[in-house]
Amino acid sequence: MSPRFGRTELPERQAEALRTAVRLEWCTLASLAVAVIMVYFVMGSSQAMRAAWIEDLLSLAPPIAFLLAVRLVNRTPNRTYPYGYHRSVGGGHLVAGVALCTMGAFLVYSSAVGLITAEHPPIGSVVLFGQTVWLGWLMMGAMALTIPLPIYFGRVKMRLAEELHDKVLYADADMNKADWMTAAGSIVGVAGIGLGLWWTDAAAALFIAASILSDGFKNMKAAITDLMDTRATTFDDGRPHPDAAKVDAYLESLPWVARAGSRVRDQGHVFHVEAFVVPHRGMMPTLTELLDARDGCIDLDWKVQDVVLVPIDELPEDVGGPDRSRQSERNR
Amino acid sequence: MRTRRVHARCFAIVGRMSRAWGARVAAASTAVLLTGCATVPADPDGTLERVQGGVLRVGVTENAPWVELSDGGDPSGTEPALILEFAERLDAEVEWTPGSEATLAEALEAGELDLVIGGFVEDTPWTELAASTRPYVEAGTAEGNDKHVMLAPLGENAFLVTLETFLDEQAVS
Repeated sequence: MSPRFGRTELPERQAEALRTAVRLEWCTLASLAVAVIMVYFVMGSSQAMRAAWIEDLLSLAPPIAFLLAVRLVNRTPNRTYPYGYHRSVGGGHLVAGVALCTMGAFLVYSSAVGLITAEHPPIGSVVLFGQTVWLGWLMMGAMALTIPLPIYFGRVKMRLAEELHDKVLYADADMNKADWMTAAGSIVGVAGIGLGLWWTDAAAALFIAASILSDGFKNMKAAITDLMDTRATTFDDGRPHPDAAKVDAYLESLPWVARAGSRVRDQGHVFHVEAFVVPHRGMMPTLTELLDARDGCIDLDWKVQDVVLVPIDELPEDVGGPDRSRQSERNR
Repeated sequence: MRTRRVHARCFAIVGRMSRAWGARVAAASTAVLLTGCATVPADPDGTLERVQGGVLRVGVTENAPWVELSDGGDPSGTEPALILEFAERLDAEVEWTPGSEATLAEALEAGELDLVIGGFVEDTPWTELAASTRPYVEAGTAEGNDKHVMLAPLGENAFLVTLETFLDEQAVS
């Protein structure tokens, strides 16, 4: 089974990146499972620890979404799914974003209440190898253990997300960053309790909850806008994706094309391109010219997968044509 | 006595560090160690410090054989006996306050008591108002095993850990 995104066979570089990403996501799942179990046993009644634990639990979602999506998009488009299975990425992304948002809001509320009502979190002791040990030490130790791996995972995934143009992987890398910051925050919270400052725990929990909420909001917004077919953007939603301009420039370089403008939407990994082309002097191109133009577009980038060329007398307004001429309306 | 020994160990560490790290780091560590070393975890409201050499205010609620109240006299039973021993360790006088579970739990939350006993079990409903100790003893009942706990003030972690350590020692001997 050669790795592919729908109809697109991946180039060697991307295929390698995909294999690495899949391996990395399995490692992430394994390390998160260990962290979730470990933190559960030392959680006690620290709010910061509880928030960190919930965040660890929620960060299981993006790797699972990624692994599922990679399997699904491997199928080729068919009669029932004429655009392929790429949007499964968007669906997973949305679910993860909403889950994060809800949990973040709940945790912000509960830690704010804890802070306002001045709850003093009790952290007692445990017996470890016949010694009575303050549970706070174990909490800090467990959280410290969960710091190094997410830093490493996050960095590698960020690079792979760009290579593969995978927004779920990007969201995951972002969450790994939040993960280790969360762990550091809860260490500070518990250490504060150790020094007799009751409020550090709730304050750390509030900080962690706010980061979960903002993560969730960012992801939910990105997933919704992608499902609404905003113009294709780069993997981090930082700027419009350069492929759209490349397609237009390539088409306009063809001898029979006067003007070209395209609508590019991100299907998840790959782009669906509708390119409007205005031929010189209203002369229709030959079928061969059209087919060559289409193949030329596809050769520009592996992400350009599904190209529809539409010869037309005047460009619609939304792709740079004159006013009042829209694709949804009949031309004058 | 015990506290003094811990301080001495702190200074030994600081001494070694100052040779290795230079004066500024040593000064900073000294500050951290002096405030932290002997007193982690610390009590936000200083319960342990106040009780040591002072008064241990204990709420008691009738629950034989754990706590038995008698008119005019001090409470008896297994838990008051443990508490007297604990108070002796802390060089403290015990002041008993009898009452219902609810009034005692509220008094504990308001900072009017340092400890509440009355044969409480692990799944006590008072955990919003009080910090329960780890179970220190199991007792067989008709429904299974009851794991018994005592109630300490919320967040007074030095006091809680000291009490738990004491109860651990009792279980061993």
